[in-house]
Amino acid sequence: MASIHQHDAAVEAAQNIEMVEVEDGYTLTNLPEESITQQFDIDQIPQKDVTQEMREASAKEDPTSWLMYGGGYQQQRHTSADVITPDNVEDLELEYLVQSGVASSMEGVPLVVPGDPPVMYQTNGPNHAKAINARTGETLWSYTYANPQGLLLCCDANNRGFAVHGDKVYMTTLDSGIVALNRYTGEEEWYTSTGDHEVGYSATWAPIVHEGKVITGSAGGEYGVSGFVAALDPSNGEEVWRTNTTPSEEWAGDSHEHGAGTVWMTPTLDPESGMIHAPVGNPGPDFDGTVRPGPNRYTIGTLTLDAEDGSIQWHYGESPHDVWDYDSSAPKIRVNDMDMGDDSTSDVVISPGKTAWVYTMDAGNGQLLERSGETTQHINMWKMVPHVDEDRRVAFVPGAHGGNDWQPPSYNPETGLVYVNQNNAPHEIFWEEAQYEAGQTYWGGGLNDWPDVSEPSNWNGNLSAIIAVDPVSGDVEWRDWISADETSDYLWGGSITTASGLTFAGTQNGNLIAYDGETGDRLWQFQLGAPICSSLSSWYDPGEGKQYVAVQVGGSGWLHGGRRGSTVAVFGLSE
Amino acid sequence: MSQYVNGMPQIGQEDRRQFLKVVGLTGAVAAGSEFTLSDLRGEIEGETAGELAAMGESIRSDLVGTLDAGLLGSELASLEGQIERLPELRAMGVPAEESTEYQQLAEPGWAIHEHLTEVGFFESVEEHLPEFTPEHIGATAREFINTGALASALNELGYSEEELTSTVVNVVNNKERLAMWVPTKNIPAGVEGFDPANIAPLHQRASAGVLLWTDYLDTYLWQNEVLMTDTILDNNYGDLKQMYAGLHLLANAAEDLAGSQELNDAQLTAALSAGAAMMIVGQEDLTNDVMRITDEMRAPRTGGA
Repeated sequence: MASIHQHDAAVEAAQNIEMVEVEDGYTLTNLPEESITQQFDIDQIPQKDVTQEMREASAKEDPTSWLMYGGGYQQQRHTSADVITPDNVEDLELEYLVQSGVASSMEGVPLVVPGDPPVMYQTNGPNHAKAINARTGETLWSYTYANPQGLLLCCDANNRGFAVHGDKVYMTTLDSGIVALNRYTGEEEWYTSTGDHEVGYSATWAPIVHEGKVITGSAGGEYGVSGFVAALDPSNGEEVWRTNTTPSEEWAGDSHEHGAGTVWMTPTLDPESGMIHAPVGNPGPDFDGTVRPGPNRYTIGTLTLDAEDGSIQWHYGESPHDVWDYDSSAPKIRVNDMDMGDDSTSDVVISPGKTAWVYTMDAGNGQLLERSGETTQHINMWKMVPHVDEDRRVAFVPGAHGGNDWQPPSYNPETGLVYVNQNNAPHEIFWEEAQYEAGQTYWGGGLNDWPDVSEPSNWNGNLSAIIAVDPVSGDVEWRDWISADETSDYLWGGSITTASGLTFAGTQNGNLIAYDGETGDRLWQFQLGAPICSSLSSWYDPGEGKQYVAVQVGGSGWLHGGRRGSTVAVFGLSE
Repeated sequence: MSQYVNGMPQIGQEDRRQFLKVVGLTGAVAAGSEFTLSDLRGEIEGETAGELAAMGESIRSDLVGTLDAGLLGSELASLEGQIERLPELRAMGVPAEESTEYQQLAEPGWAIHEHLTEVGFFESVEEHLPEFTPEHIGATAREFINTGALASALNELGYSEEELTSTVVNVVNNKERLAMWVPTKNIPAGVEGFDPANIAPLHQRASAGVLLWTDYLDTYLWQNEVLMTDTILDNNYGDLKQMYAGLHLLANAAEDLAGSQELNDAQLTAALSAGAAMMIVGQEDLTNDVMRITDEMRAPRTGGA
């Protein structure tokens, strides 16, 4: 069932890498001096290039593929595969387990390129990757990228997956770069650095490829970087355009140089209009807004760019002049021709952020069409004035991890609902006094995480919830509160939907759940024994007559990471 | 969030008591239930005017000859014209999609701000003025109240006695929040990893914040029309009045310094400090009143069409 090769130099190199806590986060040591590819039976990989047309049909029109992080460009995470249904999901069985051999962050989404056999391309921390026979789980090649010394990582050694185009796959690297591999052999084709890792830039998301461009973003918002979105030439890595998210005219003085506004999750793209909808994180510094007055435009929200040249089209901010670290980093969902309920349709962008509302915006100009009811509780939100309440520690919900941190949401055109995995645990922000010169004072911020916080009086005791929201009315249609005594019971992964109306999502306590997307009833559940901190993929294999669902298993993240794992679990059901 | 009447902070008995304590009035006027700044003028002893004057003298000696009187004069006149349009902007309600009404409000302010930045005005002001300590806030308020010309200029632009009183009391009573706007020279390296070399001087941050927020309002109010209520729009108007009272004090002081020099040194200091304080408190109020819209504040959801 599982596939483990006795000797895999790429795995061994990755196993030797250690993640070490440093003052401002983490770094990696025992890094390999050069990147390593270990080939096995690569002849199994069908040599058929992936095209723009294939990606545009991915998952939704072509159920045999899952070619992008979000299923397709619009990141609906929806497959038209319909073998698994509410009536038969109880028969869904574990098909095979792939042991990556590297117990690191497991936040990636496996891509599946159709063929005979279909081939899965999978990544996990710290920049370890594999090509896998998606029918058998056999590893066909392994690869470990040689990150340099001196990385500065806020949260973990994350990597969330490949982009695929032609004969290549593309992976972001923790040193803020992109590496292109020949997907038939696992060998490096090119590498491009997009930011200086020594000042805090890094990269963890899955990039996308569109019309001759690899589109990538920026991370390092806690280290005073300046965010950007960039497009590279997929054939050689040369930069085509770059758009800075903190243009000087929107900031006071030179504060834009450290204004953050990073785009640290996968951008959404609408092929029809050529618009990119990028998720943007916090302004910098996180907690002291007095050094960066004004709205800090283009941070925390949806930034829409023209894919052709990167020009800014519109931005919608969810927390102007934020001082709570309320990023809006979850991938945006684009839905065209959404039925608005009054015999009209609209092209919309849907965004769930840390503020614990779902925002539905006009895709053409960013005007808010509706903001949902609260998806988790709102307790003391925006009440504690920064730096004034220094003697108080007020617990507030949503905490600094949301609501919706990066967990990818999904949409089902069959139900018309958006599905979000969100947190409801209280946090406390407190203000620290830093003594300096002649008794003068200055204030920095700190954060207490659950359970080291005082419990707000009207908190319902639930640490997280999986929620269905009508993006037109803003109604919360159903909500499955996730509650347990374990402090680790929060949500750190995404969901997917199927044409038969199912929603799949994983939980931190290791349950993979299939919901009835209409009602929220749990129809099937499988305990995987380690946290699920990733989103999923699903595809139909016509050669086998089966629909598969794949998920990475293992703890990761900046809070309550939980037990490490190294597994890709693949479930299947025959027609 | 403060309680508001017609968009301006409502002054209660406790607010009055606190305010009078800060400005050092504990006598007969303090016993009165309500007052305006005019009522207080002449009642307050300006015992710290000498310190303010020394600060003002230093700023004056730094900057005389560097400022463009013509530019400041014409842009100040434009700014006054824009301030007089504030009631029109409130009456407009939510701007249209392509509106630039609020950007127009900010335009003369930007011209003044950029000129002052270029000549090193803000560096000089920050160098010579102290932090927003309670003592400095009290001294500034006393000087501002006693300088009838500063208030009169705002009265002429449509600020009522009640509005100006409300603004000044609100600023003085927010001394803790003001104190958190630390002069750049006092910010140490390494807090939250931020390099102080990239942080603008305090008074530049105050005015840039006012102008950046104003520029944002056309888009922001239009994009968020489904959340907007009359209360939010009223508060937006009141917060803008506070911010622009502060910006006008700054611009007026700079123009005076460049030209007629009718303000004495203490009055110059009071105008600059009070101006920055009004801009700071006003923009913080705007953030809380207009930008952080909770479910309780927003217009009701319609539940879909």
